[in-house]
Amino acid sequence: MTTTTPAPTETAMLALRDVTYRYPGTHRDVLRGISASFTSGAVHTIVGKSGSGKSTLLSLIAGLDTAGSGEVSFNGTSLAAADRDRYRARDIGVVFQGFNLVTNVSAVQNIVLSMNIAGSPVKDKTEHAYALLERLGIGREDAARPVLKLSGGQQQRVGIARALSHDPAVIIADEPTGALDEKTEEEILGIFTHLAHVEKRCVIIVTHSKRVTQIADVVLGIKSGKIGVVRSDR
Amino acid sequence: MYILQNAARNVWRNRGRNMLLGAMMLVVIATTVIAMMITSTSSGIIEDYKGRFGSEVTFTPDIEALREDASADGDGGPMRLEMPTIDAEQYLAFGDSEYLKSADYTASTGIVPTDLTVVDEDLGGGGSGMPMGGRPGQQEQEQEPDDAVSYMAQLMGGSFEEFDDGSRVLADGEMPDELNEVIVSSELAELNDLETGDTFTATGALTDPDGGDPKAISYEDLAVVGVYDDLTEEYGQTPVQNAYANTRNQVLTNVDTVLENYDSAYGGIQVSAAYYLTSPDVLEEFEAEVRAEGLPEVFEVTTDESAYETIVAPVEGLKSISTTFMIVVLALGGVIIALLSSTAIRERKYEIGVLRAMGMKKSLVSLGLWVESLILTATCLVAGLALGALVAQPVTDTLLAGQVAAAETATEAPGTMGGGMGMGGGGGGMPMGGGAGGFGPAGGTTDAEPLTELAVGLSPAGIGQIALVAFVLATLAGVVAISRITKYEPMKILAERN
Ligand SMILES: Nc1ncnc2c1ncn2[C@@H]1O[C@H](COP(=O)(O)OP(=O)(O)OP(=O)(O)O)[C@@H](O)[C@H]1O
Ligand SMILES: [Mg+2]
Repeated sequence: MTTTTPAPTETAMLALRDVTYRYPGTHRDVLRGISASFTSGAVHTIVGKSGSGKSTLLSLIAGLDTAGSGEVSFNGTSLAAADRDRYRARDIGVVFQGFNLVTNVSAVQNIVLSMNIAGSPVKDKTEHAYALLERLGIGREDAARPVLKLSGGQQQRVGIARALSHDPAVIIADEPTGALDEKTEEEILGIFTHLAHVEKRCVIIVTHSKRVTQIADVVLGIKSGKIGVVRSDR
Repeated sequence: MYILQNAARNVWRNRGRNMLLGAMMLVVIATTVIAMMITSTSSGIIEDYKGRFGSEVTFTPDIEALREDASADGDGGPMRLEMPTIDAEQYLAFGDSEYLKSADYTASTGIVPTDLTVVDEDLGGGGSGMPMGGRPGQQEQEQEPDDAVSYMAQLMGGSFEEFDDGSRVLADGEMPDELNEVIVSSELAELNDLETGDTFTATGALTDPDGGDPKAISYEDLAVVGVYDDLTEEYGQTPVQNAYANTRNQVLTNVDTVLENYDSAYGGIQVSAAYYLTSPDVLEEFEAEVRAEGLPEVFEVTTDESAYETIVAPVEGLKSISTTFMIVVLALGGVIIALLSSTAIRERKYEIGVLRAMGMKKSLVSLGLWVESLILTATCLVAGLALGALVAQPVTDTLLAGQVAAAETATEAPGTMGGGMGMGGGGGGMPMGGGAGGFGPAGGTTDAEPLTELAVGLSPAGIGQIALVAFVLATLAGVVAISRITKYEPMKILAERN
């Protein structure tokens, strides 16, 4: 092929339409009719008070759970109808608020496992994993240690590395810099903006950090189960 | 396949937890190994017994029925029992049955060796009038005045049991094989300077059952091919002491030689046969056949049940004990393994939740867990086989000793235990190697010794069965785990942790 592919346009990759959600066994809707769209090439942040439903919203976007009503769609396909295992494995990378690493193995093995699950075509997955962790400031020695023997901030960075390991189109991060010092936070944010602006991924970050909202292209706020645009540079 | 690698790592990582599960599996597998070894070896022994020692058939005259007949037409005088007979031709005909594994014949008759001095010649001769039928020793002797014939020795065909038990030993020459070949006792040989290569002649007489004149017979050119040392009692069997009854005067030959002078119209040559069924189960068929060929109704056709019981009962008892034990252990072990792996999986719920959140499919997570339990089971299988093989023999010996004691009290089997049937071997397949001779027809009827030694072994098929048991255990553990994880959605598993 000699035709040059046009630079990816900033299209709505993920769309939420009138999404409601209620935890089973409870009597209150955490999310009440949420509609929003997330585009590739942009960093989105979601802000809101603790308990406002940010993590809940992310878990719906991540396909870990399905909406009570309304629809979450990825590239036009409703997640309710899609193979959500495959979607989680290949299309998105999630940085969990509680890290959710595979605890009894090393950082490297966490990343290799993720790549394996995604069916990554990379040949030397271990080497790839070491390189990725290095980029996030985790040296080889630490990378080979069981993750539970790493500090909170290191574990957080392993979580980020894992989310990026299989080159997903969407990166979702729940408080990804909560456990990091300012300098490291800066480095991580650099990576996120690079992913969005250069690699044209769709980046969605839930955060309480002012610094994160500053670098965001779109800031959304959640309150009383509703979502609204706080600021958009688009 | 990364699932495999991962499973292998997980087995090692969770070794603390797996140790417990593994120990349980080890117990189950080792028990199964022991039980199966015992069961398959016992089955082999029982089958082998049936096939080899296999049910000697006896034709026993029903004395009660005879008595009744006798007194029914009796005239008040002393009761006379008319002993039924089976003639030699019938014996030989019965022996052709397809239900027989083998038939051993013996034939004997009284003789007067020409030109030979016999042992205890001064005590005179004897014999004759011996009714035949059934087996020697089972018929009641009919005391008939012996006016016609007096024998000085016996010509015996096919009676070589004493050479098996060691009470007669060939001292010189060889055993009689061809027609007219004989061996004589060393005493008889000494008295007459008989040597291997010498020949002699003997005369005899066949009695007429209808009271007519006896028929004179002679055995010409009996060739001495060997001399035997005789350790048996000179008068072991009979209270009568005369040259005829003295065992030193027994000239041993083959059945055909004795039967050369056989005449169905006359008595005087006793024939007996020992038949061995191919299996105790065909007794009825065999009986039908011999009845059809003319075995008188008065003879009961039986097998040596008590000998069979004495030997086989302990083995069968052992077999059923070990089978029961195996089933109990399998059931209990199965439940415990299911419980253990259910707890194990609850502890790993978070890990599974993470894997599911990372997009691993339920089927793959399940496969991983199953592979883990397979690896664990395979390890336990190897250890269990080794352990089982190690303790199977002592366990068997202990169990068998108990069973033998039980069987002895039950059947009050005569004779001391010990000796037993040394079943050697042990390698692949049925360890039926050594001790083949030990099973031979014991000559007598109930002095069979119980099996006191049982060399257990495991065939490749047995190992396959155990591997199958192990596989089922692994799958059981896997299925329990899988059925648990499929209940959880990743979000819920992760949420429960937080
Ligand atoms: N598993 C659950 N079952 C029932 N209710 C839940 C569950 N998880 C969260 N909630 C409730 O749902 C609401 C939203 O929770 P969520 O975790 O989404 O908040 P959040 O915005 O992420 O808060 P934070 O900033 O503290 O992380 C809260 O009121 C919480 O109590
Ligand atoms: Mg949250």
